[in-house]
Formats: sequence, structure tokens, C-alpha cells
Amino acid sequence: MLTLNLSAISSSFSVVPYANYPLSIQTQLLFRSNLNYSFATTATRKFKSFQLKAGFWESIKSGLMKNNSMQVIDPPLDEEDEEPLPQEFVLVEKTEPDGTIEQIIFSSGGDIDVYDLQALCDKVGWPRRPLSKLAAALKNSYIVASLHSIRKSPGSEGNEQKRLIGMARATSDHAFNATIWDVLVDPSYQGQGLGKALIEKLIRALLQRDIGNITLFADSQVVEFYRNLGFEADPEGIKGMFWYPNH
Amino acid sequence: MVVMGVAAQKQLHLEKHVLEGFGSKSMELKWVSRRISKSSQLEKTMKPLSPLFPIYISTDPRHVDPHRLRDLFADCNYSTQKIPTRAEPEPVDIHKLRIALSHSAVVVSVFCNLRHVNDVVPYHGNSSSSLIEDFLTPVSPSRDQLVGFGRAISDCGLTASIYDVMVIPSLQRMGIGKMIVKKITRVLTNRDIYDISALCSENERLFFKACGFGNDSLASTTMMYRRSDPSVTQEGE
Repeated sequence: MLTLNLSAISSSFSVVPYANYPLSIQTQLLFRSNLNYSFATTATRKFKSFQLKAGFWESIKSGLMKNNSMQVIDPPLDEEDEEPLPQEFVLVEKTEPDGTIEQIIFSSGGDIDVYDLQALCDKVGWPRRPLSKLAAALKNSYIVASLHSIRKSPGSEGNEQKRLIGMARATSDHAFNATIWDVLVDPSYQGQGLGKALIEKLIRALLQRDIGNITLFADSQVVEFYRNLGFEADPEGIKGMFWYPNH
Repeated sequence: MVVMGVAAQKQLHLEKHVLEGFGSKSMELKWVSRRISKSSQLEKTMKPLSPLFPIYISTDPRHVDPHRLRDLFADCNYSTQKIPTRAEPEPVDIHKLRIALSHSAVVVSVFCNLRHVNDVVPYHGNSSSSLIEDFLTPVSPSRDQLVGFGRAISDCGLTASIYDVMVIPSLQRMGIGKMIVKKITRVLTNRDIYDISALCSENERLFFKACGFGNDSLASTTMMYRRSDPSVTQEGE
């Protein structure tokens, strides 16, 4: 399973990648039987820092010796930021004649209310999908980019009205491939370049992670829209096929 | 010591005639035989009944060793880059492969004993003894060779996409690829996901068609992002 050319030092950490347990839990299991809790926590802390140091020196050693057979095991995944850092910023700000300020906020944090999304899908005319599936899909998508409009009336109350007006999401294996699904913008906000901004931010986040294959399945009326953003239809004869059980 | 424990566990699973689906990590035994192809470069004898040999199909991602998977990619001349930028596909990055495997919703791997992989001429008189040998040889993903692979990425709610389905050339055209795709779709439909897509190149299209895939009923166009490469002129359509 694991590579055979691990050095003796790093082999003690070799259980980590496939076990997928955070290291602190593993060491607690190791110490739990004979030691009391306080001692175990200090032991885990020391163990953890020792492991990090070992990783650091391993990587320096392997770099210096140019001996690529030494496998450097990265510290467990909670140290790496795997998920793209959620961004949130104001895309557009408008002031209306009566003084209300409308801000359009872009967010890649994925903080979307499923009911809002369902309402937005109804507005654009998409068929209804089960809410539980929608929620699961949002939770397991790699990036969920959304646009919210916040309207602040000039009164001192400062009651904000926040509405979901656009969304795009991408599923990915976090390394090679990504597919963009469900791109939609509220019809009353279309034609302002908001969809373009959504997709561009999404693509930028994916390319930053060095994800080379970005795919999407476009309806006929939006093929031109995506072409202008850098997408190519059926490149090199690659096509997407869908599964039909009773063919 | 951990590895041995897992292997022993897997053996138990096999004896119980494994259950599949519902997220149970299991291994299934299947029998395949070489079909006589009309135009074959290898010297296959004209015996109608080619002996069966066992392969093991697994849905457990822990059975896949990234290094052996990388070798499989190379053997099948497969690249992780869908749009080829260079004539020869570059070797797969192991670190990225590990990440990709850990984030794939379904990972299917097929193992086979080494002697069948390189077996060109089927045995005649020894067929019965080799069959018995096959029955008695225990399952061992660490010992047997990885000969087939397939994975799917999903949001575990609405959609899924199948990628990287491959079988080593010497065992192609035996139904293994179809088995892999069937397994993937079965696991996905068990999780109530019916919107399954697969990106395929020209020569894979017939294969996926035979597996039950077709063009989109909603006539959507597949589009891929093309990084702007100043040296390459942008083509029109």
C-alpha cells in the first residue's frame, strides 16, 4: 500500500495517510491505557511538534541529498489548507436616487440558504429538485460562488435586505478535474456582467489550485457566453456522455 | 502490520460472498476469459472455450497504491490532462494523484494475478489444475497486479462524473472495462445519483455507448476551458 522506500524515521508516521485520523487522536489511543489524561495531552503536544520538526528536517535533507527515494510524508491534512480560502468582497456598489445603497457581494464561502436557492431556480425557470439533494450537492461541491444583493435604506435603522441573486458551483477531485454546474443569475440582474464575474472568479480559483481540466455542459443559448470566457466546445473531439439506464 | 490486518479482513469478506453497494468496502471475485478476436496480433489458439481466470474488482480506495496507479496510467498511455498539450503524456504527479483519489466519490480497482496478465497462449491440459490454483490463491491487492481502474467525482447529491477508466492493453476487450463502469454506476445509483456523465474522447465513445451512455437528451454542449497559450493560435469553432 504505502511506498516501500520510507526511511526509518518517517515510517513511524506512516499510518497517517490512509488512516485519515488526525494525529492527536492516534497518539491518544496510543497513550490512553497507562497514562492519565493530562499527561497524555502533553505527550500528544510534544509528539505533534516532534512530528512537524521531523517533517521539516526530512524535507531539507531530501532536498540537499537530492535523493528522491526518500518519501517525505506531509503532516496531516488539517495543517494544509485544502479548501480554497473563502473570499467575500463587494463587486458592485450603486447608490439609488432615493439614497438606498445597493451592494452586490461576491462570496465563495458557500453560505447559501437552500430555500433561497430553490426560489432563485424557480425564477429562472429551472425544474424543481429535491431540497435534500440540493443541500447535499452544495455541501459537497468544491467551490460554491454566490452573489448576494444587500440593500441599505438611508434611514438610521440600517435594516439590510439581503437577497441571493446569483450562484455557480464546481465539483472537483481537488487535483485534476473540475466541472461547473448550476450557473444562474436572477433575471432582473442579468446583462450586467455578473454571470461573467462569477465564472471568472470560479475559474481563477480553480486555476490557482492547478486544476487543469475545467468542464461544463452548456445549453445551446449560452454556448456563446462561455466561448467568450475562454471555453471551447468539444475540444479535440472530447464530448460528454450521460447515462441512460434503459438504453 | 497494519497492511496484514487489512488483507486478512478482506479475505474474510471474500469468504462471505461479499455484499456490494451501500458504501461497504468490499472486493468481488469475477471470472473473465479471453475472447477470440477476429483480427488479433497475438497468437490466440482457435479453441472456443478459453479458460477462465479470476480477477478481483474492488470499490475500496485503500486498495489503490498511487505508485502502481501511475504505472497503470503509463501502461495505458493515459493522461490526466484531457486536452493534450504535448505529444507524449507526462507522468502523473503522485501527490496530486493521492489528493484526487481521496476526493473521488467512487474508486474502482481491478486486480489480477500476474501470470494471467502476461498469458498469451491459453493452457490446454493444465486448465483444470490452474483453475484449482486460482480457487485456492487468496485475494491480495498488494500482491496481485492492478490491471484496471475507474473513478467518479460527485457532489453526492445531484451529479457525478466518471473519469480515468482504463484497463491494461493485454487484458482489454474482455469486458473488464464494462464491468468497471457498471460497478461505478451501480454504486452511484445506490446513493440515489442518476445524473452521471462521462467525458470521453473519440475512441472511447463507442465504449461508453456500449456501457449505456449516450449523448445528452437536453442537447447540451460540452465545453472545456482552454488556457490561453500565446504560441497556439485560437481556433474558431
